[in-house]
Amino acid sequence: MPAPETAAPAKLKYAERPEWADVEPLQQYEIANPLAPILYSEEYKDATDYLRGIVKAGERSERVLELTEHVIRLNPAHYSAWQYRYETLVALSAPLDVELKLMDEFADKHLKTYQVWHHRRLLLLLTRKPAPELALIARILQRDEKNYHTWAHRQWLLAFFNEPSLWEGELDFVDTMMNKDVRNNSVWHHRFFVVFQSGVREGEEDRERILKRELIYVKQNISLAPNNASAWNYLRGVLEHTRQPFGSLAAFVQPYTVPLPASTTDIVDLENPPPGRDADLPCAAAIEFLADVYEERGGADNVDKAVELWRSLANEHDTIRKKYWEWRIREALATSS
Amino acid sequence: MAPTTTMKPIPTDGFPTPTSSAQAETVKVLLEHFVAESSVPNLQKNAHMQFLMRNLSQGFPQRYTSQDASQPWLMYWTLQAFSVLQVGLDPGNKQNAIDTIMASQHPDGGFGGGPKQAAHLLPTYASVCALAIAGRPGAGGGWDQINRDQMYKFFMSLKQPDGSFLVAHHSEVDVRGIYCLLVVATMLDIITPELVEGTAEFIASCQTYEGGFSSASQPYYAPSNSDKPTLLGSPRPALGEAHGGYTFCALASWVLLQPFLPSTSTKINKKALVRWLVQMQGAPVELGGFKGRTNKLVDGCYSWWVGGAFGLLESVGIDPAAVSSSVRSDTQAEDGDWDDVDDSLLNRKALQEYILFAGQHPAGGLRDKPPKPADSYHTLYCLAGLSSAQHRVFPSAARRRDLLDSWTDTVDGGDQEAEAKENALRKRIFVEALSYTQEEGTETVVGGAVNRVNATHPIFNLTITHSDAMMAHFYGQVLPPRTLQRPAQT
Repeated sequence: MPAPETAAPAKLKYAERPEWADVEPLQQYEIANPLAPILYSEEYKDATDYLRGIVKAGERSERVLELTEHVIRLNPAHYSAWQYRYETLVALSAPLDVELKLMDEFADKHLKTYQVWHHRRLLLLLTRKPAPELALIARILQRDEKNYHTWAHRQWLLAFFNEPSLWEGELDFVDTMMNKDVRNNSVWHHRFFVVFQSGVREGEEDRERILKRELIYVKQNISLAPNNASAWNYLRGVLEHTRQPFGSLAAFVQPYTVPLPASTTDIVDLENPPPGRDADLPCAAAIEFLADVYEERGGADNVDKAVELWRSLANEHDTIRKKYWEWRIREALATSS
Repeated sequence: MAPTTTMKPIPTDGFPTPTSSAQAETVKVLLEHFVAESSVPNLQKNAHMQFLMRNLSQGFPQRYTSQDASQPWLMYWTLQAFSVLQVGLDPGNKQNAIDTIMASQHPDGGFGGGPKQAAHLLPTYASVCALAIAGRPGAGGGWDQINRDQMYKFFMSLKQPDGSFLVAHHSEVDVRGIYCLLVVATMLDIITPELVEGTAEFIASCQTYEGGFSSASQPYYAPSNSDKPTLLGSPRPALGEAHGGYTFCALASWVLLQPFLPSTSTKINKKALVRWLVQMQGAPVELGGFKGRTNKLVDGCYSWWVGGAFGLLESVGIDPAAVSSSVRSDTQAEDGDWDDVDDSLLNRKALQEYILFAGQHPAGGLRDKPPKPADSYHTLYCLAGLSSAQHRVFPSAARRRDLLDSWTDTVDGGDQEAEAKENALRKRIFVEALSYTQEEGTETVVGGAVNRVNATHPIFNLTITHSDAMMAHFYGQVLPPRTLQRPAQT
């Protein structure tokens, strides 16, 4: 853990500063010996004593902004300091561009903290200027490609403001991130959000075409790295969302369920891109998919084929999930008999 | 030691990316900590107790300043870890715990992350659960000093038009907060149809195409004739991908909302949920630990958030034991005794091995994975995950009958019809929550009896004893004694 930073090094404690003399600092505990106390630094204790004093007095002033910034720098998860800061900014009609600039720095330093992102959101609800935000988010995601809050923030921004210009570059952004790491599940989720879950935008009305585009996209990515759970989950998600039978993909999936053939053909089949030469086959996700195809088709013969595949997962290809595959077998047999 | 033959490397298809590289590094470290399946280490109960006790009596080191707004959590994690380790506190420390927790109650309802901090749903859950462990009824006991009227008002003040709740004023919406609110409202007998209107729909909207749940969803509204705009059922996109912590909170919330759901209402996709949950269990080379998202690394805390979520499946109608035994014999013929009694869908044995081999820090306390340090959060959630992997705690029909038989209505002398309706709902909430019962004789304790820990309530993450006592108090009920529950013979 990095050492706590100081907003103003070598600055006097609040207790020693005449301009704070009118504030009565408030100790945290009134009881004598709290159990399991945190052993704070002197600086933190001093600053939070004054924060408690300010909150009790209900003061809204410039110096409250200084104090809350100080506390937040020492502990960015101090949600009460954030809350009080936000209310003070509003009460003072403080310049929000200045605050956002400060927040750019915080987003870089404390990108894993809920409050940093939520405070930005509150500010954006006031400024109503979402456009510059996308570039900042993209920059943060270059550094921390799977940051949950950052992705959720981007999705909120797009969905809430819902301006065509904001959505314009989104699929290109997905591609950029996907090219860095095709196994980044956050990127796959973002693609699903953009394509299927946020309404139909201009130019995307032909859903047949969109479905075809997405299937080609995911199949090519599976061909690139077959044992990528994110891609298979996306494929399943697309089919379920658009109510397409899994069976429509059987021809594509089949070659992934068996060992790699000794010689591969060089025919380029865009509909059914084959596994690459370095693929680790058979691929458990493909076997699972094919079993689902058989189960979907129904009838005793097909269920038998599905059971055989599940058994190969349980006993050979995916033994950690043995119990689950055996349950799938029992369920399928119970419903088919 | 050489990995066993079942330990296939994670396939990378000759196409490395940052995800597969991080994965490979983690596997390497994990395998260094794996000795042999035949020599599973003991759970170092003493070392873990020392670790917890040190924090409790000497205080948390300065680096815990980042948890200054989560002080009730530090207390809850510590006390509940003791409970799972079968250790109780002495009366002096208990009183000290009660007084410390009560200092964080906010005058306008709820609990804050510390004294004089704003009220927040997360520390409210942690405070109430810590009080379930350390507190008692009567003066100075904490339970009767919880201001339930103000707490209800605080909850209502956070309510959003889409059925969700802010975690605190001017703060974010997310399903962790909803789980915390529903647990507290259920335990304290302040849950009402008004409080939870629309909440189930919100939870359902957080389920992603992967089957797990995200942090929140984005509502859209259309104008309508009345003052209130109409909430659209679609689009209502999930914000963020499926995630272990959010999935546990969403599923547990869904279970707690059952008494309020008409049978025809909103649904969740259970099949996709089960699939996602089992997919989160890591491969043998990851020692069978759980991850929190697709293509992320295993982490000890998901032993509870994902591993523990399996304990809730029976409550939403997924009961692997229900399939007929004739079909079962077909697939389990060659298995040993263990598998005969184990109907769970996760690999309970592997999960315990992850915690024992990789989750324990040599100096005491438990952790995410080696070489990380131990902390209070991971200590509890590794232990709670270990507990859920050892014990089957299930909603028992027999216990439900006993509770129904012993129930007494509360009579306030108001409108009789309204009162009867209210009592019927309270009864159902109470009975469902306390029907969870530990099945005797089906424990699967890796490493032998010395590694056994206490069972924990699959929704609340409190022991059954603590859950029973607190709810009996707030619902004004006398509980029938619990009898041993053996598995049904088939």
